[in-house]
Amino acid sequence: MPVITKLSDIATEIDELIQNKYAGKTFWITAELSGVRKILTKSWCYIDFTERNKNGETTIKGVCWARNYYNIELFESTTNTEFKTGIEITCKVSVSFYKAKGYPQLEVLEIDFAHAVGQLELEKQKTLKRLIAEEKTIKYLPDGRCRTANNSLELPKVIQRIALITASNSDGQRDFKNVTLTNKFGYAFSIQEYLTVVQGNSASKLISEKLKLIKQDKFDVVVIVRGGGSDTDFAAFNDYELAKVAATFPIPILTGIGHDRNTSIVDLMARQLRTPTEVGSFIVDRNKSFEDNLLQLQDNFFQAVDDLIVDRKNTLQQFKQTVKNLHPDSILKKGFAIIKSNNKIITNPKDIKVNSELQTILKSEIIHSTVNKKSKNEK
Amino acid sequence: MKSNLTFDKAFNELKKLVDQIEDDKIQIDTLTEKVEEANELINFCETKLRTIETATNKLRK
Repeated sequence: MPVITKLSDIATEIDELIQNKYAGKTFWITAELSGVRKILTKSWCYIDFTERNKNGETTIKGVCWARNYYNIELFESTTNTEFKTGIEITCKVSVSFYKAKGYPQLEVLEIDFAHAVGQLELEKQKTLKRLIAEEKTIKYLPDGRCRTANNSLELPKVIQRIALITASNSDGQRDFKNVTLTNKFGYAFSIQEYLTVVQGNSASKLISEKLKLIKQDKFDVVVIVRGGGSDTDFAAFNDYELAKVAATFPIPILTGIGHDRNTSIVDLMARQLRTPTEVGSFIVDRNKSFEDNLLQLQDNFFQAVDDLIVDRKNTLQQFKQTVKNLHPDSILKKGFAIIKSNNKIITNPKDIKVNSELQTILKSEIIHSTVNKKSKNEK
Repeated sequence: MKSNLTFDKAFNELKKLVDQIEDDKIQIDTLTEKVEEANELINFCETKLRTIETATNKLRK
């Protein structure tokens, strides 16, 4: 009969060995998260750390307990990146033995954000450089923005037909529709929704596909909104292919992807507004300013018409007076007379000789006479 | 009065006539004729103006 050793004794022994070797020691590691399981009710997170190199891969299990769980939340809010499978992080860990399950594990004590932010930013810059190099229509501007075929398209003066790309039942969808459809000016909108997921691995591809479904002559703008609830992971909007589709898309795109700290590449290719609500207000305000301009023009028009009519009336009045004053009848009424000789009106006294027959025409009578003398009018 | 006469045409014609009537050198023979022509144009212009005014007032509502 062999001597039986209890599993728990072995576990205790391994635990002691590991404690002797690792107690009080901490390590900084950089590894990919190959598995993440959050226990939200307890604020725990089980993690698989994986390192890949040419010799194959190494995976060690890890955990983040409630006392350090804030590190994960801080990581997510600071980097706008969801703490999930597939990302790479740098963190401080201690090594211990998980007796109940019988494996060594790494406990996360601290997470380095700078590394994560740096990685993401690097990735983003790389994508942007590639876009600028490969898409001749994209120009990088000194202020950090980009000029693209899409954001150079003229925005319609009135925006009413909207293709909305958003996640179903999302805050972004609700906020945008609320601002536009219940605007206080009573402007009408026709919004056609193209629902898709807007985060996660397949999001960029799905958004590209939705864009391609949108018919050019049916819409004034395309609106892409996201946000409200979750403030993490907008990696989809830094995707090369999606950015390329957006940059050359033939209808102006307005984005409200809902993050204040960061601008995604799709934002740079389109016209960026911060939030879904801001996109909605922008559209309503644009329509309002069109209407204001129109009313102003109408006012100006009627004012010009009024001015013209008044001016013409006054001038006509003057003409009337002048014509009336110069009417021969008016002149005769004042005591002037017309002198005729041989049926010709005399304007030059030299035409009249002594003994000529004259007719003096007054208002109501003609006097016939013969000239018997001429002399100078000395006044 | 010609049916295709516009306000502007009539108004410009009238302006010319008034200038001629005001000119000292006008022959008194032609004065009566010109004055009558001017009066006719004034009537035409006033009627046209009233029509335009009524039409724009309707637009304003």
